[in-house]
Amino acid sequence: MRWILLFMLVASIACEKRASDTGPFEIVTRSGVEMVYLPGGEFPMGSDQGEPDEKPVHKVKLSAFLMDKYEVTHEMFAKVQLPDPSHWPDNPKNPVERVRWRDAKQYCNERSLLEGLKLCYNEKTADWDCDYTANGYRLPTEAEWEYAARAGSDGPYDFGGPEKLRQYAWFGENADQKTHPVGQKKPNGWGIYDLYGNVSEWCEDVYDPAYYQTSPAADPHGPPNSGKDVKRVMRGGNWKSSVGQCRATARRGERTGDSDACFSTDYTGLRCVRRVTMEELQQLQTKPK
Amino acid sequence: MNAFLQLLNRAKHFASPILLCLVTAAAVSAQTPLRERLKASPFKIAYESYFNDNWEIFVMNADGSAPVNLTHTPNEQEHYPQVSPDGTKICFSVDQGEGRDAVRSLYVMDVDGRNRRKLVDHAREPFWSPDSKVIGYLPQEYPKFSVTDYYTDGMSFYDLTTGKITPHPNNAKLHHLYNPYYAPNGKWIVSTVHAGMGFSHAILLIEAHGDKIINLQIPGCRPSLSPDGKQIAWGAGDHEIAAAPINLDAETPVVGKWRVRIKDKELEIYHVRWSPDSRLLTFSRGPASKGDVSKPGTFSGPCEMVGVYAAGWNLCAVSAEHDGEVDLDTATAAEFMMLTTNGSSNKQPVWFVPRRKAGE
Repeated sequence: MRWILLFMLVASIACEKRASDTGPFEIVTRSGVEMVYLPGGEFPMGSDQGEPDEKPVHKVKLSAFLMDKYEVTHEMFAKVQLPDPSHWPDNPKNPVERVRWRDAKQYCNERSLLEGLKLCYNEKTADWDCDYTANGYRLPTEAEWEYAARAGSDGPYDFGGPEKLRQYAWFGENADQKTHPVGQKKPNGWGIYDLYGNVSEWCEDVYDPAYYQTSPAADPHGPPNSGKDVKRVMRGGNWKSSVGQCRATARRGERTGDSDACFSTDYTGLRCVRRVTMEELQQLQTKPK
Repeated sequence: MNAFLQLLNRAKHFASPILLCLVTAAAVSAQTPLRERLKASPFKIAYESYFNDNWEIFVMNADGSAPVNLTHTPNEQEHYPQVSPDGTKICFSVDQGEGRDAVRSLYVMDVDGRNRRKLVDHAREPFWSPDSKVIGYLPQEYPKFSVTDYYTDGMSFYDLTTGKITPHPNNAKLHHLYNPYYAPNGKWIVSTVHAGMGFSHAILLIEAHGDKIINLQIPGCRPSLSPDGKQIAWGAGDHEIAAAPINLDAETPVVGKWRVRIKDKELEIYHVRWSPDSRLLTFSRGPASKGDVSKPGTFSGPCEMVGVYAAGWNLCAVSAEHDGEVDLDTATAAEFMMLTTNGSSNKQPVWFVPRRKAGE
């Protein structure tokens, strides 16, 4: 019995060390979704060679979080019983598209409910305000998305030059004007797929082209909502993007479509993130893949 | 007035007395304020409104006067009233509960609000058969609530005489429909589809008793067919309602040249319905919003959706008797009038001629 207890203690310490000291690794959530654990860290956000809204490059420090390994697919949407708004719903492994910002947030809340997690989004507030301390699913902040996409690299793509983009992304030059099943291209350096293409992904932040000039250094959540026609950040290339639009640092603001019943931008999808404690992480790691 | 007299003088030279009467009536219609015409009309309008923190179904006179709350149910949220073609009954949807735990059910009651009874749970957007004996509806896609209008799967029919529910013969193929409406000849059901049945978004004619589906190739949503069966009106965009001829007796009906285009630069216009004489249109009008979730019994979403609070929305009537464009900012009193002005999320108007069942 003593040996078993000692083994469990050593395993627990090893696991904790792995989570805090080593690079990203994969887990499977209670509802069977594959995610990647990204340890906290500091990175240079933005680009001095990019568009004006990507400047200046500034250091950002982030807490650890989990990010979906793949974009949210039709079968994942169906699992939480939400109406799928997509233009191309035929293959259950294709990413959802034509998703309004609020519908993306609703998906996050539904997935939290499915796993008994605390909801991040307060559905009784006008903007569905986000509780960043909750352990439920939410959209990534813009900083979290870029941190994950850059995977510790300095350049516009974590894998090197744009000539390799075809290996990593479905975009305007190879997608044949449609979405494709997730996970068919190579993952980025931290094991996350389709960040550079297929569908663009909603983030939580309000879009402000000048935000990098005043952004806080630790866990930035974007500027406050300033009014009616606010745009939210959308990151990553999609099936119709140019090479430049797929860059890890490229920023874009999109209208949320919340008051548009016929929202039809068929390149807008999502992937979820969530904060996780060491205790939870150890439980998740014990789940079979 | 000069134009009116000139029209009468010209008509006298060539018209038979009957034609003269018609020309006179048309000319009078063209000049008479809509308010006066509607005040003299036997029509009434049923609609949904948010009143005292609660959705209710109201009925008012065709000119907007004398609104009457038919429901008075503080714990139930009534909306989407549909009056039977014989003018005796109203079917409607009711939400009970909040958020994702809400249940949307269909009910029917007499046109005066009496004899209310539930028909079916987890269903939405009812529509009447031309003989007023059957209520069609769209079953909800999943049991969990969503306010999304196209959250539907299949189509069913409730026989009011027997209580029997029958699925549409093409039920398995019908997915993500919303706002269905029966053609007066009973051959077709016109409906919008969103992200379903191979369509990104379309207005379809669905064979009522068969498997034929026709894409009407018109943009927009929420179609309505005139009681005379000769015209279709629909929301061609957030700020435009259009009307055009359609031959519903044809094997493959097509929408003709757009005849009337009602436009509003600032406000959204939705939920169009024809008057019983197929001459006028009523619709909802108000600013775009995503609802107000602080209000009980409401949801977040585009405010034209059922169950989403639409601040500042009112009901209007427009004459659809003359071809051309009606700009609501500059329309004359003969063309356009506001039927409500309280802005209390007034939506989904439907005209009817009230009648009682035989023997009552």
